[in-house]
Amino acid sequence: MTAETAGSGLVLKQQMSRDDVIMRAGLVVLGIALTLFVLFPIGALLKKAFENKAGEVVGLANFLLFFANPSLSASIGNSVFIAVVSTFFSVLLAFLFAYGLTRTCMPGRAVFRLIAQIPLLAPSLLSAISLVYLFGNQGLAKSLLMGASIYGPIGIIIGEVFWTFPHAMIIIVTALAIADARLYEAANALRANSWRVFWTVTLPGARYGLISAILVVFVLVITDFGVPKVIGGQYNVLATDIYKQVIGQQNFQMGAVVGLLLLVPAVFAFIIDRIIQRRQTALLSARAVPYAPKPSPGVDRLFFIICLAISAAILIMLGVAFFASLATLWPYNLTPSFKNYDFDNMDGGGWLSYRNSLTMAALTAIIGTAVIFSGAYLLEKTRAFTMVRSAIQFLALLPLAVPGLVLGLGYIFFFNNPANPLHGIYGTMAILVLCTIAHFYSVSHLTASTALKQIDPEFETVAASLRVPFYTTFFRVTLPVSLPAVLDIGMYLFVNALTTVSAVVFLYAPSTTLAAVAVLNMDDAGDTAPAAAMAMMIFFTAALVRILYNVLTQSFLARAQNWRRK
Amino acid sequence: MNHHPARVDADKTVAADPYLSIRDVTKRFDNFTALNKVNLDINKGEFISFLGPSGCGKTTLLRCISGLDIQTAGTIHQGGKDISLLPVTSRDFGIVFQSYALFPNLSIGSNVAYGLTSEGRPRAEIQARVKELLALVGLSDQIDKYPAQLSGGQQQRVALARALALSPGLLLLDEPLSALDARVRARLRGEIRDLQKRLGITTIMVTHDQEEALTMSDRIVVMSKGNIEQVGTPGEIYARPASPFVADFVGRMNFVDGTLIDERHVDVKGAKLAFAQPTGFGSGGRVTVCIRPEDIVVRGFREKAGNRLTMRVGVMEFVGNHFTTVPHAEGTSLNITADLSMNDVRDLDIAAGKTIVAQLPPKRLRVFPLRPDQN
Repeated sequence: MTAETAGSGLVLKQQMSRDDVIMRAGLVVLGIALTLFVLFPIGALLKKAFENKAGEVVGLANFLLFFANPSLSASIGNSVFIAVVSTFFSVLLAFLFAYGLTRTCMPGRAVFRLIAQIPLLAPSLLSAISLVYLFGNQGLAKSLLMGASIYGPIGIIIGEVFWTFPHAMIIIVTALAIADARLYEAANALRANSWRVFWTVTLPGARYGLISAILVVFVLVITDFGVPKVIGGQYNVLATDIYKQVIGQQNFQMGAVVGLLLLVPAVFAFIIDRIIQRRQTALLSARAVPYAPKPSPGVDRLFFIICLAISAAILIMLGVAFFASLATLWPYNLTPSFKNYDFDNMDGGGWLSYRNSLTMAALTAIIGTAVIFSGAYLLEKTRAFTMVRSAIQFLALLPLAVPGLVLGLGYIFFFNNPANPLHGIYGTMAILVLCTIAHFYSVSHLTASTALKQIDPEFETVAASLRVPFYTTFFRVTLPVSLPAVLDIGMYLFVNALTTVSAVVFLYAPSTTLAAVAVLNMDDAGDTAPAAAMAMMIFFTAALVRILYNVLTQSFLARAQNWRRK
Repeated sequence: MNHHPARVDADKTVAADPYLSIRDVTKRFDNFTALNKVNLDINKGEFISFLGPSGCGKTTLLRCISGLDIQTAGTIHQGGKDISLLPVTSRDFGIVFQSYALFPNLSIGSNVAYGLTSEGRPRAEIQARVKELLALVGLSDQIDKYPAQLSGGQQQRVALARALALSPGLLLLDEPLSALDARVRARLRGEIRDLQKRLGITTIMVTHDQEEALTMSDRIVVMSKGNIEQVGTPGEIYARPASPFVADFVGRMNFVDGTLIDERHVDVKGAKLAFAQPTGFGSGGRVTVCIRPEDIVVRGFREKAGNRLTMRVGVMEFVGNHFTTVPHAEGTSLNITADLSMNDVRDLDIAAGKTIVAQLPPKRLRVFPLRPDQN
C-alpha cells in the first residue's frame, strides 16, 4: 500500500447490485449452517474432552485418566498396527489391480473395474459378516487359518482391506491413467528396460496418487468401527472404544478424549493431502500425449490372473453373505428361504429401518446436492466478500478431516444439550440427514467446485452485461452444463447415506433406526444371518441406484444434452 | 531528463465533449500498480484499441470501464453520467471475449436472445430482433444450431450479435480474435470494423496484436507498465512513435545509441547523421536514434542526398515479399537492419558481401533521450 491511499484512507467501493446482495445473503446463510452443523459440534467435542462430568474445566485430567488405563491406551497401539498393516495390503493390491486396468491389454478390464467397486455399495460390516461365515467358529474354510482365530487382528485386517480396496483402487487408477506417453517413448528410445522404466517413469508419475491412497486408506481404517465391532472379538481399537465408552458406559468425557485422538491422524492426513494436491496440478502439462498400453502376452496374462484372483475374492465375500442370508439355518440347513429377511420379527427395528434408510438417503441426496452445489456456486461466483468466502471454504473442507464417529459424537454433545435452541431436532430424522450431509460435504463440495471451475468464467460477465440476473444464468446455463456432476454428487450422497454407520450410530432413535445400524444391532444380538440379509438389502438398493444412475447418464442425459455433440 | 513524451500526448486526448471520459484512474493490487493515473477521452462512434504487452494494464483498464474490477482511485464518465462506482448490471455495454463465452447448451438463437428474453419483451419482437442480428453477422441460417457445431469464427460472430442485442452504447472487445487462426482472423478483422462503422457504435478493443490495432482502429492507445505511452491514429503511432517503447512495440525498429554533435547532428558509432529538425536536446547528450528497416533507401535518393552511407551487405535473409539484411557502414562500427524490396535487390543486383549506397532519410529518423536502463 502506498502512502497515498494509506494517508487518505479512501479506497473506492463499488455499489452493490441486486445480484451481489442476494449472493452474499446466500453465502451468509450457508456460513451459518456450516457453523451450526460442522464447526459447533466439533467445538463441543473439544470442550467435552477437557471437562469433567459436572461440566467443569479439568484440563488434561481426562487424558491422564485415559493413558493411566492400560486397556484403553493399548487401543492406540492396536489401532495403529491394524491401520498400518491394512493400508499396506490394501494399497499394494489396489496398485496391482489399477496397474492391470490402466497399463495392460488384459481382457475383461471393464468387468474387473465394476467388480472392484462392489465393496463401495455395502456397509463395512458386510465383509466382517462374510468373514465370520467363512472362517468363524462354524466357518466353511476355518481350517485354512490353521488354528488361528478370525476374531481379532486377522479378521479386522482382512475386512478392512476388502472394504478400503475400491477407495485406493479408484485413486490409483486416476493417477496411473494420466501418464504422458512421451516419457515412455523417450525411455524406450534411450533403451531402458521395462523394469527400469517402471521405477523411473511409472512409479514417480503415480507417487502422488499412491501417497493420497495411503492416507485415505489409513484414515478410513483407523476410524472405521463396523469391522472391528463385528469381528474384533476381544481386540480393542480406538473406534470401538468410543462406542463402548459412549453407548455402553455413558462416559461422554472419555468418548470425547478418544474422539480427539482419532481426529489427530485424520487432520494430519488432510493437511498432507492438501499440500500434495497443490503440487500435483503442475504434474501434467497440457501438451502431454495420453499413454496407451501395447499388448504384451506375458504381462497381460500375469495381471489377468492377479485381477481374477482379487475379483474372485470380492465375489466370494459378497456371495457368502448372500447365500448365508438365504439359507434357512447356516450351515446345517441350506434350503433357500426368505426367513432371514423377515426383519419385523427380529431386533434392530425391522423393515422400518430399511424404509428409514431409504428416506434418509433420498433426503440426504436431494437436500445435500441442492445445498452443496448451490453453495459451491456462490463460493465460486460471488465477487469480493473475501473474508466470508475463505471462512466458508474452510468450513466446507473441514468435514474431510473429521471421522464420522467423531462428528456423530460432536452432534450428541452439541444438540443433546437442553440449552441449545436446536435441541428439538435431536432424535429425529432431521438430525440424521443433517449429520450425513455434513459428514460427506467435502468430497461433494470438491466435485461441484471442480465442475464449476471448468465452466467459462466469462458466462457471468456476459450475463451481467446483458442485465440478466445471476439466478437465471444459474438455472438456464450453469446447472444444465453441470448436470453430470450434479447427478454424481447425488449418487455419492445416496449410496454413502445408505451404507454409513459411523456418525449415525450415536444419533438414531427407536423411530428412526437405520438399515446399516440394524445390521450392527442384529449381529450384536447374535442374529448373524438376518444381519447378512439386511446388509444384502443395502447392497442391492445401492447397486440398483448405481445402475439407474448409469442408465440415466448414458441414455437420457445423452439425449437431453445433445448440444455436447459436435 | 524529466521530459516525457507520454504525458504530453495524454493531455492532447482530452476532447471537447467525449462519450467516455477516464480521469486519473489508478488501480493497485497490493504492491503492484496496474494502472497509474490514466487519463483518456473517447469520442462517440470511435474505434479505440488498447495495445500493449501482457501486464501493461490494458485489460485492467477494460475491466474498470466494465465494472468487473473497481479502480483504486479516479473517475469514469460514460455519456455524461458518472459510472465510476456502478455495478456491472447498471452499466451500458456489450462485451465479447476471446473465449466467445457462448452458452453451450443453448442454441445460437437462444444465445443471441439471452438478454432480450430476460427483459421480458414480446416473443415476436425478440424473434425479429434475433433474426436481424444474425443477418447482421451473416449467420441467419445457423439459428437452430448449437455453439459446438460452429467454427471459431462463426462462434465469435454469434458472440458479437449477442453483445449488440440490447443496443448498448459501448462495445468492449477483449482480445476477440486471439483464439482464431490467422486467415479467419484477417477476415473477421474487416467484418468487425465494417459492422462497427455501419452501427456507429463506440468500441474499445483490447489487443496485444499490433496488426489488429493498426488495421481496425480510429485511434490506438499504446500502454506500458500501467501508463499510456501514446494515443494516436495508426499512422501517427507507426510513423511518429512518441517513445522508444512505442517505437519498439509497434513495427520493427533499429535502435542505435549516439552522441549529439549539435542541435541537428548526431554521431552514431562513427557515422555522422543529420536530422530534419533540431532535436531540442542540446549538444553532447547521449541519445537513441531510431529508424525503421523499411525506411532505408538504396536508390532514388531524395532530400538532397543527406545521410548517405557506403555499406557492405551482410547475409541476405529471404522473407517472402522482401529481403532483410544487416549491412555494415564502412569506416564505422555501425550495423543496421534494412528491408530491401525484391525490385531493389533484382535491379541493383544486391548480394551478400557487395557494397551499396544506403540512405537513412533525415525525416525518417526518430531520436529519444537514452533510456536509463540502457546505460
